[in-house]
Amino acid sequence: MENFPNATLLAQVFHFILLLIFLKFVAYKPLTKLLSDRQKLIADSIAAAEQEREQAEQYKAEFEAELRRAREHAQEIIQKATKAGEEQAVEIIESAKEEAKRLKDSALVEIQREKDKAVAEMRDQAASLAILVAGKILERQIDDNIQHELVQEFVKEAGELLC
Amino acid sequence: MLSMAEVEERLDIWGNVFHFWELDEHGHQILWNLNIGGMHFEFIPKVMVMTWLTMILVALFAIVATRNMDMRRPRGVQNVFEMMFEGIRNLVNQNMDPQKGAGIIGVVITFFIFILFSNILGLVPTLSSPTANPNTTFALSLTTFALMYYYGLKYKGAGYFKHFVTPYVFFLPINLIEEFSKPVTLAFRLYGNIYGGEVMLIVLLGLFGMWADLLGGFIASVVWLAFSIFVGCIQAFIFTMLSIVYISIATADH
Repeated sequence: MENFPNATLLAQVFHFILLLIFLKFVAYKPLTKLLSDRQKLIADSIAAAEQEREQAEQYKAEFEAELRRAREHAQEIIQKATKAGEEQAVEIIESAKEEAKRLKDSALVEIQREKDKAVAEMRDQAASLAILVAGKILERQIDDNIQHELVQEFVKEAGELLC
Repeated sequence: MLSMAEVEERLDIWGNVFHFWELDEHGHQILWNLNIGGMHFEFIPKVMVMTWLTMILVALFAIVATRNMDMRRPRGVQNVFEMMFEGIRNLVNQNMDPQKGAGIIGVVITFFIFILFSNILGLVPTLSSPTANPNTTFALSLTTFALMYYYGLKYKGAGYFKHFVTPYVFFLPINLIEEFSKPVTLAFRLYGNIYGGEVMLIVLLGLFGMWADLLGGFIASVVWLAFSIFVGCIQAFIFTMLSIVYISIATADH
């Protein structure tokens, strides 16, 4: 039994147990605590991150709804403005047309009046001229009254022609 | 070509400084003898001293690794220690019920660190591995054996002994051989690998004479040194892994 003296094996078992106890208190306990702390920290971080993401999504949805509402509102305002503008344009065109028509009508009336006036004047002038010319030509062959009647008739004819 | 004893003698620079042990006329160490209360104890001095050295190194490593631990940004030795701890804890949790395995985590991690440090220690010239002696490896494997019975009885009670007669009572001899081969193979696998590695290291050093050594005769020994580091890590892992597996078999429900 040269290789197995009676106590070396026991001493090695004792050494091992000694080392085990030493390591257990010096190394394993703090390390286990550290590892579980780290695990807890990671789990907490993940939970916090998930919660924050959820909250962020909620915020995002809220903001998107808000944005959509604002956009709709803006659209509405633009539509309203466009409609008002169109209405106004139609109104302006209508009033312009009316104005133009009024101006044209008054111009026509004016023209008619001027024409009538001119015609009447011309009639008188023509009558006078005719009388003058006829008197000069006929030289009193016809009585003044008949002459005048004739002239009037002629002028009337002439006026009808003219008109 | 030098003999192993000659190489060891030439390498032993400590012999002139410390005298932990004396050699008898055959070149064997003289055992330490201790008498306590009429009981006689014998110890192999080299194994004792190397074990103490290993224990001091492991303790220093553990202290350096666990002082000023940073939860958020682990650095340096803390990383290495955490990696070992978590790796072996995961092994335990994969192989057995985590609740049952909680008790053995400390033991198997101590197995791993102690065996790893022992194996690497033996590669330093003039030092030798505590695990290159069957006393140490048997001490470790019998610890595993004791744990197998402790946990087997704890979780199965007397029913634990039923595994000797499964599937039939005729299997009793085979089961007995299997049961007792577990600690023996555990111990001799580790002892054989590490002791063989150390012997090879010294033999390769002594293989070539002085002049050949100057021309590169040491290269074989250096290559073997690198391989021994690998073997040391692997053996530490295998011992740990098999201990976990044996204990998990003892606690597993069929």
